[in-house]
Amino acid sequence: MTIALGVRRVGFWWYMTAGAALLVTFAAVGLYRGSVPLDPADVMAVLARRLLPGEHGPVDPRVDTIVWSLRAPRVVLAAMVGGCLALAGAQMQGLFRNPLASPGIVGTSTGAAVGAVFALTFGLAGAFLLAAPLLAVGGALLSLLIVTRIATRDGYTPVTTLLLAGVALNALLGAVNSWLIARSWEQYEAARQIAYWMMGGVTDRDWRHVGMLLPGLVVGCVVAAWFARDLDLLLEGEEVAASLGVDIERTKRAVLWSAAILTGSAVAVSGVVGFVGLVVPHLVRLLLGPVHRRLLPAAFLTGAWFVVGADLLARTLAAPREVHLGVVTAFVGAPFFLYLLMRHEKEVAVSR
Amino acid sequence: MTAASGSALRAPRLELVGGGVERRGRWLLRRVDLVIEPSMLTSVVGPNGAGKSTLLRLLSGTWRLTEGQVLLGGFDLAALPRRQAARRVAYVPQSVRPAFEFTVREFVTLGRYPHESRLFGTRSADRGWIDRCLDDTDVLALADRRVTTLSGGELQRVLMARCLATEAEVLLLDEPTSNLDLAHGLDLLGLARRLVDEGRSVVLVLHDLNAAARFADRVAVLDGGGLVAEGPPSEVLAPELVRHVFRVEAVALPGAASTVFDFEPLARSDLPGSAGRTGPAPGMRRRAPASG
Repeated sequence: MTIALGVRRVGFWWYMTAGAALLVTFAAVGLYRGSVPLDPADVMAVLARRLLPGEHGPVDPRVDTIVWSLRAPRVVLAAMVGGCLALAGAQMQGLFRNPLASPGIVGTSTGAAVGAVFALTFGLAGAFLLAAPLLAVGGALLSLLIVTRIATRDGYTPVTTLLLAGVALNALLGAVNSWLIARSWEQYEAARQIAYWMMGGVTDRDWRHVGMLLPGLVVGCVVAAWFARDLDLLLEGEEVAASLGVDIERTKRAVLWSAAILTGSAVAVSGVVGFVGLVVPHLVRLLLGPVHRRLLPAAFLTGAWFVVGADLLARTLAAPREVHLGVVTAFVGAPFFLYLLMRHEKEVAVSR
Repeated sequence: MTAASGSALRAPRLELVGGGVERRGRWLLRRVDLVIEPSMLTSVVGPNGAGKSTLLRLLSGTWRLTEGQVLLGGFDLAALPRRQAARRVAYVPQSVRPAFEFTVREFVTLGRYPHESRLFGTRSADRGWIDRCLDDTDVLALADRRVTTLSGGELQRVLMARCLATEAEVLLLDEPTSNLDLAHGLDLLGLARRLVDEGRSVVLVLHDLNAAARFADRVAVLDGGGLVAEGPPSEVLAPELVRHVFRVEAVALPGAASTVFDFEPLARSDLPGSAGRTGPAPGMRRRAPASG
């Protein structure tokens, strides 16, 4: 199915420059705004001391802690999570030739959620910081393994079977999740943590979380970049792609694992942040066209500034209380998506 | 300067030896020996479900054979790395309707895939080549249009441009004229003819026997998953064969340069089962599904 909208394309480098400017702006505001009012000059001083070599003047240690240990990792993590989800979404939409595919369409994000909820329910997360993220990544990869095993026959994995197996696994894992949560209802602290985590967010994350996400991000991005061109050809159907020399099954596997690693790692550190992986790649494809060598980096950058901006909203909308990040992304993303659909209703063409 | 005339093209011989495909316990094609002669326009004809599309998929290497071999210039096509094969044999499946909004230039550039480097992608030499391919098929003016907005005739030309972009010497086109009106159909056949005259081999699946007779150098007739006849159209397309394979009465009209048939439905008594029809090739359990 295709939604063909008559949107004029914009130049790639213009788009990337604007995106980078937005990212820097949101990040700067993110460092400066918060429950404790700060002087922009102090923020600059902290950044200079932390990032630039050479001698620097003294900085209030309290300000240093707030900027460098509390707000900076949060901003960086938000950018990374947004980038990972949008990139994985773009890959899945390309692989399934469907602009409505989401990063977790093959069950990876639900799998990651089950892994994390398992760790929280059984108190593993309290005993060992890495338990929840590791189990989340493990859950994502295990889900993909199950889905591909089910969908593969004679070394061939039809994407439609993959999609259906993913839908089924998503439902099953959702039930497992509910069961785990219901089980933990009595333990107030675990239940609270789970609910908190399920809504998604980057509150109270530190540099260790950034470190946890980084390997998955790097691996996922490298694989995504390596197979970007193959995805272009897959858009035209497997038969055409194969006739032009694409190794279809290898491309599918690489793209699926790359997206699973990206999604799993993102969910592992930030919980379930919805709609980024669906709306962002879709929007970027409208503006830049379907060529993945441009689409993938642009989706990553857009996801990054979108989530940093959403997190900014999340902590300033109802300050001093925080709204959950996943709530904000859904509130911004879903209506925007509906707006796109309604505005171009007449141009919507359904084919294949 | 056309995309072809730069170097003297010499298409390789493409050959199917004892080819057969079984899918879900059914033989779509079996025991087919067929040589696609170099630098000739070969037309594949046959009723629905005869195995024409399957034949093209085998010749292009996109489907694996259950038995037999495809030889490209004497070498096993299946043993060739896919990208290398794609540089020599191009294939356009039936009724391709692009679903994503590539521009025509981006779409044709997909054909450079077998030549691209993974790290550096499309280079300026590739871009120059793309321009020539667009020019050669008369679609240069459409370069910035979205492929989703093209008419059927424009799209077929763009698909031809994408074939040329691969630099393949053998082009396999599955029913390229099926969605075109008369003028665009003839136009496309003329283009195919020109590409052959430049040295390429072109294989077309056609439903129009008169067009096949007029434009093709060779005609291969398929029926029930087997090859019934192959040769020059004047020899192969005889009223007798047309009646047996297509189950229509064919009357050759006098005075035309090539064979031109007028078709009539068969009389009741001549319907299959009653006449001495050449049955499907031995070993066929039943006719393949109607997929072309």
